[in-house]
Amino acid sequence: METAALALEMLNITKTFPGVRALDDVSFGCARGEVHALCGENGAGKSTLIKILGGVYRPDSGSIRLDGGEIAFSHPVSARRAGVSIIHQELSLLPYRTVAENVFLGIEPARYGFVDRRRMREEARRLLRRLGSSIAPESMAGNLSIAQQQIVEIAKAFAIDARILVMDEPTAALDRVDATRLLDLVKRLGSEGVSIIYISHRMPEIQAVADRVTVLKDGRTVMTAPLAEAPTGRLVRAMVGRELSDFYPPRPTRAPGPPALRIRGGSNRRLRPIDLDVRAGEIVGVAGLEGSGKNALGRAVSGDEPFESGMMEIGGLTVRPRNPRSAIEVGLGRLSDDRKREGLMMQQSVRDNAMLTQRAFANPLSSPTAEPMSTAAADLRLRQLDVRAASFDEEIRLLSGGNQQRVIIARWLARDPKVLVFCEPTRGVDVAAKAAIYKIMRDLAERGRAILMISSDLPEIIGVSDRIVVMRGGGVAGELQSGATEEDVMAIAVEHDHRSPALIH
Amino acid sequence: MTIALKEIGPRSRAVAVVRRINLAVVVFLAFYLAIGLVQPAYLEPAGVMNFLRRAAPLAILASGQLFVLVSGGFDLSVGSLVTLTVIGGSMLTANDPSKTWWAVGALYGIGLVVGLINGAVVAYLRTPSIIATLGTLLSVNGTAMMWSGGSPRGYLPDNFRMFGRFVFHDVPFIKIFPLAIVVLAAVSGLAYWGLHWTVFGRRVFAVGDNARAAQLAGVRIEFVRLGVFVISALSAVTAGVMLGGFGGVSVDVGLGLELQAIAACVVGGVQLMGGRGTFVGAVAGALTLTALFTLLTLLGLPQPFKETAQGLILIAAVAFGAWRRRRAG
Amino acid sequence: MSDAAALRLASAERRGSIAPLMLLVGSVSLYVGVALWTGETKMLETDGVIGLLQRMVALGVVALGQTFAILAGSIDLSVANMISVAAVLASFTMQGRAEMMLPAVAAVLAVSALVGVVNGALIARLQVNPLIATLGVGLILQGLLSASFTDFAGSVPREFQAVAYGAFGVVPYSVAGLFVLAALCSLALATTRFGAHLYAVGGNAEGARLAGIRTDLVTIGAHVVCSLMAGLSGLYLASRLRSGAPWVGRDGVYDLESIAVVVIGGTLLAGGRGGVWGTLAGVLLFATLDAAFNMMGVSAYPKLVLRGAIVVAAVAVYTMRTRDPVA
Repeated sequence: METAALALEMLNITKTFPGVRALDDVSFGCARGEVHALCGENGAGKSTLIKILGGVYRPDSGSIRLDGGEIAFSHPVSARRAGVSIIHQELSLLPYRTVAENVFLGIEPARYGFVDRRRMREEARRLLRRLGSSIAPESMAGNLSIAQQQIVEIAKAFAIDARILVMDEPTAALDRVDATRLLDLVKRLGSEGVSIIYISHRMPEIQAVADRVTVLKDGRTVMTAPLAEAPTGRLVRAMVGRELSDFYPPRPTRAPGPPALRIRGGSNRRLRPIDLDVRAGEIVGVAGLEGSGKNALGRAVSGDEPFESGMMEIGGLTVRPRNPRSAIEVGLGRLSDDRKREGLMMQQSVRDNAMLTQRAFANPLSSPTAEPMSTAAADLRLRQLDVRAASFDEEIRLLSGGNQQRVIIARWLARDPKVLVFCEPTRGVDVAAKAAIYKIMRDLAERGRAILMISSDLPEIIGVSDRIVVMRGGGVAGELQSGATEEDVMAIAVEHDHRSPALIH
Repeated sequence: MTIALKEIGPRSRAVAVVRRINLAVVVFLAFYLAIGLVQPAYLEPAGVMNFLRRAAPLAILASGQLFVLVSGGFDLSVGSLVTLTVIGGSMLTANDPSKTWWAVGALYGIGLVVGLINGAVVAYLRTPSIIATLGTLLSVNGTAMMWSGGSPRGYLPDNFRMFGRFVFHDVPFIKIFPLAIVVLAAVSGLAYWGLHWTVFGRRVFAVGDNARAAQLAGVRIEFVRLGVFVISALSAVTAGVMLGGFGGVSVDVGLGLELQAIAACVVGGVQLMGGRGTFVGAVAGALTLTALFTLLTLLGLPQPFKETAQGLILIAAVAFGAWRRRRAG
Repeated sequence: MSDAAALRLASAERRGSIAPLMLLVGSVSLYVGVALWTGETKMLETDGVIGLLQRMVALGVVALGQTFAILAGSIDLSVANMISVAAVLASFTMQGRAEMMLPAVAAVLAVSALVGVVNGALIARLQVNPLIATLGVGLILQGLLSASFTDFAGSVPREFQAVAYGAFGVVPYSVAGLFVLAALCSLALATTRFGAHLYAVGGNAEGARLAGIRTDLVTIGAHVVCSLMAGLSGLYLASRLRSGAPWVGRDGVYDLESIAVVVIGGTLLAGGRGGVWGTLAGVLLFATLDAAFNMMGVSAYPKLVLRGAIVVAAVAVYTMRTRDPVA
């Protein structure tokens, strides 16, 4: 039984955001020198937990203890100073500065305001060497490979004597050789007394490097166990096993029609040649973990980052959408996964948001509310989608996530597309709205549209799709029929790809 | 000069808009009343008409700048285009009234070209509009100098000047009715309709609010950019024709007008990052600025301080807007 | 361009060394080429070259300061008016008396620093858009200036005129001064903590803040340097013109041109990368273009027209490559 205080303890952490409980009484601990793996699917609460640890959010209740002493972080800087260092997936080095300058950013050794470059260089070299790297401290950070940049980020953490290191999907962008090297480094750091929280969904890696494993699901701790008691099968079951509530829409009443969308050999920078069929009346779910390329697929189909080779057919006609507008013209539509950056016009009204695409194609000098863009027609569509707002004249930023999403759906439905791509359709949407959106998708399919649903939410994939395509490493890794379980999907998705992956989704 | 403001919490859009309109208009009325106290002649119908006549060019410029600002950009070249219009007008007409109409037509043609260039550089060369229009400012000013050989001829034919000067006399009740107000009304009508009652106007708001979302939804943002800069340029030519009627031909006639137009819009509640603004706000802002300058002049403040006041107002208006945005979260 | 060549260019760009060198070579070739073509070969003699370098000083000094502002992710459009203020203030304070030189210079530096603090504070603390903030401050300066002066004010004593007209043998003080200043700026950027933090704030302000850097102080510092440089440039112009006038800054279009030469020199408009030598190379290019136009007999006004086009073209070369929509 541990008598010494744990290096890190997060006790009874609860965090709620409007409409969603991200963390519910989560407790988590990590001893000195322990490599503790943290697993869970997207939305399980991992990133919220880490943001609390890193001082970005404050927990609604619960406490954090470092070496037994309670501490509260008011700001990310105070977390760093306390010895907690987070290495995010998106590396944030300054590309036009040297490695040494990046490592010592903000803490440059100086005398009377003049940076002691020699000392900085030597210290950086020492830190890098400790990490087993021979990167030259004077090289430009932007010229390094991703793996090397990661090492620099780790060195940055140790420049301020990090005691607790959090690594978020560190091998997502690495090839096998670099990944193995990183894992060796992680093990070594652990043996040197650094506490490491290792977030990953790659089972082989977890098996290789972790001392203990914690699984989060739906904001709760489902399981915490030493590695010996956590074989991959048990972990996967813990990550996904849940009650299938019956808030998924009923199954389709008739067989799907002819293929509305056909892709043969579609590929580009991010995607390996893809073959895909989506029939009219069918909902095809596309699943995959970080880096699988599923979002790139959605963008390629809708002309945003188009296919560079291969063939695409809509309703039997060959099409080549080179930009979003031409994709819309041939009957495609895509609901972006990043609603805020690519969908919502925050300061415009609900109606204006809903009518955007129609207005993109209407006569510029015509009235913005002429048929078929009349206020009555728009309001009807919004009401059919059950958008709740005090008034449709309201600015859309005042609506909840679920309602905002419905307005964007209304926008895409206005031109009656034949093929609709939904990317993360229920991200940031509360439970009630989720059910409503699933029903909308099913209704659309029933009326003959072809739906491609790209999602990181496994229950959604299982519950809504008629067919499931699982992607991995930029290509299709497998296909499953309706009736598959979440474990089936996860099993295909988590296998670590031994080939060099394409760029991140 | 502080502008008192009631706290605005999350309320329905209609109420918020009403409040914003009220603010700029209210401030204008307050200033105008102050003017009336200092110089009662301004409260008579003839005084009001004259005030509106002198405020018209700025209001017209603000109407054009409005489109560019709402789309998320800036047009710093309008002042120089005004100068070019006045100088070009005098060169083209050569004091021959029969040439006025085709000269005006030619000037609008020039304005169209300038607007297209601005829009194209921003849309296709992806140069920030600040740099692009500053460059246009230089080139247009240079063209004006080149054209007039550095010493512009001081005369414009009377029918050219009538847009700024001409006044209908013996009008019942209001006594005088300046032609400038007709022009202002026409421009206002076009601007109001264009921004608030056309599909194009909605596209302008869309591009200013979230250009990426607009692009993904199928909007051709390049055409929107071309459009707003052309509108701004054409409004500058119109203002130039009017200003040509006010005073003589000089190389300084357009100096600083772009900043005045931007300040007018900001005072009227137009957001600098795009996506939000109203026609009424822009015009109310222009009237407010003109009223403020008139007041300061009446109070004895020397002319050059006008620029100082303008700079202060510009900063204050923007800082205020930024503060309000921060509070709204 | 082939993939391999593009990759090489990209990494050379990252090293940042290519722009100044290319500009230098380009400028020299242009100058020599036009001189030979128009037969103005005396421009290639020492006097001609020295004249060229001298034409670099006014813009060069202010562009050094603008480099700091842009590196920090900001921008300064008040420099033209700041130059006018400095020139007039210096000349007016000196009133032709040598013993007033030091107080005049001190006054100019103090006012410049103050203006820089105001600019930086508006941007960093009140979150005013840098373009508007500096445009507004410029307007205020212009207004205050033209309210007090309409013509040349005072005069500069002969001793001070040495700044613009004196020389070590063949090398004018002003040119030497420009290069010394550039060297100091380069050193400051490369060796001080302030310099390192400047690059950090420009490159990734959020990351800099997370690293514990006081980003607001860095921004203010950058603007103080920028305004000080504008002040120095104004002092030089006062010396050159033997007096100061309120239109000095505006006529020289120092605001737009300083931005253009900074961007041409390889400094990113968004900040985080670049340096003073690139800026100087940009200044050389502009001075060379000016000289070339003179040699070809292009008169003042067409030059203005071309200047506008060149400035935009120079910036567009860099911005053309972005994919995202820009306002």
